[in-house]
Amino acid sequence: MLKLSLVSYRYAGTNRLALRDINLELADGEVVGVVGANEAGKTTLCLVASGLAPRSIGGTLGGSVLIDGHATADLQMHELAALVGICFQNPYTQLSQVADTVFEEVAFGAMNLGLDRAEVIRRVNEALAAIGIAELGERDPRRLSGGQMQLVAVAGLLAMRPRHLVLDEPVAQLDPEGRALVADALRRLAAAGTGLLIAEHDTDLLVGLCSRVVVIDNGSIAEVGSADEVLVDPRLEKWGVEPPARVRLARAVAAAGMTAELP
Amino acid sequence: MILGGVFWPLVIVGLLVLLPAAASRVLPQLLRFAVLFSLPIAISALLVNLFFYPGAQTVIFRLGPITATAEGLSFAIEILCRIAAISGAVTLFYLTTKPSELVLDLERRGVPARLAFVANASVQTVPAMAERAQVIVAAQRARGLNTEGSVWRRIRGIVPIVGPVMLGSIAEVEERSMTLESRGFTHPGRRDLLWSPPDALWQRLLRWLLVVGLVGVTIAHFVGWL
Amino acid sequence: MSDIVCTDLRYDYPGGVRALDRISLTIGQGERVAIVGQNGSGKTTLIRHFNGLLRPTEGAVTVDRWDTRFKPVAALAALVGLAFQDPDKQIFAGSVEAEVSFGPRNLGRRGSELESAVASALAAVGLSGERRTNPYDLGYSRRKLLSIASVLAMNTPVVVLDEPTTGQDARGVRTIEKIVARIAAEGRTVVCVSHDMRFVAESFERVVVMGGARVILDAAPQEVFAQRNWDLLGSTNLGPPYSARAGHELGLGATPTEASLIRALRSGTSA
Repeated sequence: MLKLSLVSYRYAGTNRLALRDINLELADGEVVGVVGANEAGKTTLCLVASGLAPRSIGGTLGGSVLIDGHATADLQMHELAALVGICFQNPYTQLSQVADTVFEEVAFGAMNLGLDRAEVIRRVNEALAAIGIAELGERDPRRLSGGQMQLVAVAGLLAMRPRHLVLDEPVAQLDPEGRALVADALRRLAAAGTGLLIAEHDTDLLVGLCSRVVVIDNGSIAEVGSADEVLVDPRLEKWGVEPPARVRLARAVAAAGMTAELP
Repeated sequence: MILGGVFWPLVIVGLLVLLPAAASRVLPQLLRFAVLFSLPIAISALLVNLFFYPGAQTVIFRLGPITATAEGLSFAIEILCRIAAISGAVTLFYLTTKPSELVLDLERRGVPARLAFVANASVQTVPAMAERAQVIVAAQRARGLNTEGSVWRRIRGIVPIVGPVMLGSIAEVEERSMTLESRGFTHPGRRDLLWSPPDALWQRLLRWLLVVGLVGVTIAHFVGWL
Repeated sequence: MSDIVCTDLRYDYPGGVRALDRISLTIGQGERVAIVGQNGSGKTTLIRHFNGLLRPTEGAVTVDRWDTRFKPVAALAALVGLAFQDPDKQIFAGSVEAEVSFGPRNLGRRGSELESAVASALAAVGLSGERRTNPYDLGYSRRKLLSIASVLAMNTPVVVLDEPTTGQDARGVRTIEKIVARIAAEGRTVVCVSHDMRFVAESFERVVVMGGARVILDAAPQEVFAQRNWDLLGSTNLGPPYSARAGHELGLGATPTEASLIRALRSGTSA
């Protein structure tokens, strides 16, 4: 269980509150989507939920962030890493640069935790299978497509067996092929019971994947509810969020005074 | 007299540098690289000593006011041999060692994981930076940056190229360090490595032999034998 | 009239891989063209031929009848402005203002001409209030808008944008759509590489579909996204925008855009 209570956050060296009064709970195995305009606080929320803020990047955290009962402020970064994994939008900067094969890349995190060799190998194989990239094992991670690199990044996180995965716009920089690859993998993870917190613009990706959706506007939660409710909310555009294609079209049709049964 | 001093150095360089290079199939690259690398120094060493060796008597030929001497030539050749040995050895190391393997081996022998990582990552960053720089040059040329033309113009063109390379690398560093931390990089203690390069008995013997040889030669030199 | 004409264009990468295979097309002044296709189909390679960054291995590319093989990139930049996909590969100045001035300055603009070019470019992307801001204090999506402004300010007859909507939120995409409309209204040519099919269908009058280093389809969105071409699109890993799929399901014919779907609903026949 990942629990944020009355969380506020200010980046180091700034005066403005990037997050304000955030209350959010992510139960084990739950998939929650986070939407909002750029610079509304989605990334900040991801950094706080994973403990990187304030532990790694500094800044001032108010309120409490509890992971399985432990306050993130009390844990060391490597202890946090074993509880919560975070994936960013740029596939290239998530490569360790010291691995010559995908297998070693995925093993990187698990090895850092001091696990013994046999355990690391077992975990890597499991992670590769869970994401469906076992056949990429011997490839050079630097020569993969963006989508494949993201999959390697997620597999590397999985090998650390975190309870929750936080993903900050995982498909934002990918082409449709990469998008489909990652969406598939996420669906598989969700089905297998991993808790996911996904911040995304692509609301079509979130439909059918998330049980709940949170809207962040100007650092606070503007709306939270079931995915079906939130993603048809007429206020989405005001909050800088593009509704799913079907919703958008339905609205345009209705605005023109027509009706249609859209697929 | 001139060529006498060349025999042994050539044998040594041949045995210890050229032979292993041929065995590793990197001989052509080694020759090309080592020669290019040492050419400037070699040329200046040759010229300076050939014409300006102090106290030399035996004249080989004259070029206007300056004289080429045999002693000078002999000394120059000695220096060239040393340069050949050094550049050959360094190039051989560079061409036959994979940085990631070297670093893994160091870590296996006890170098702290984080230090080993820094060494490895720094080397790997260079080609990535070079690739990045190429894209940046293209992007700035597309905005009218003139990469041909006068020296002054080219100097002015450095900032729009170096700027994004540096800034981009710095921005990347921030993202990368967050990635590393969230992959347990701060965990203290040693890691159980998946794999490290094999170290056969003959390799270990050879390394010891080389060390003993080095010590022996140094002592022999100071004692006066060599 | 800065028409771009590619004649039997072929391009091979240094390693020997053929990136463009006998491309012949003409982009007339003032057209709004989108270039789509899967990764590796040659889209980016093609647009880099338009300003001479890449020179054909065989065949020729002319811009306003200048052969790109015989003109330096700096000269072609006065005709074709190209904004790269990653803004961080070009941003170097300490302020938004200085960054946007770089392009026009290189083209020789000074004084009030330079000033008005910068001002109108900043206004087009919504960054007028951030003149003195350091580009890296802006988020990624606004840096992207900045890189587009930098090219707009050059006032070139042809503007080429590489994946402008990637990473943008809803507001950002609207801004990009407005920019495309505005440039086109000024009579300038807009060429856009994109993988956002909705954006392509709504903002462009011509879609060039690339697959396997060739042009496999070149027509208006109406034609390209019609059901008969869905398999062809699939061969280069593309799919039609939702409007097109919905329109087909509802038996309304080819409706690549929202507006065309609504029109079809109104008239009760295919658009």
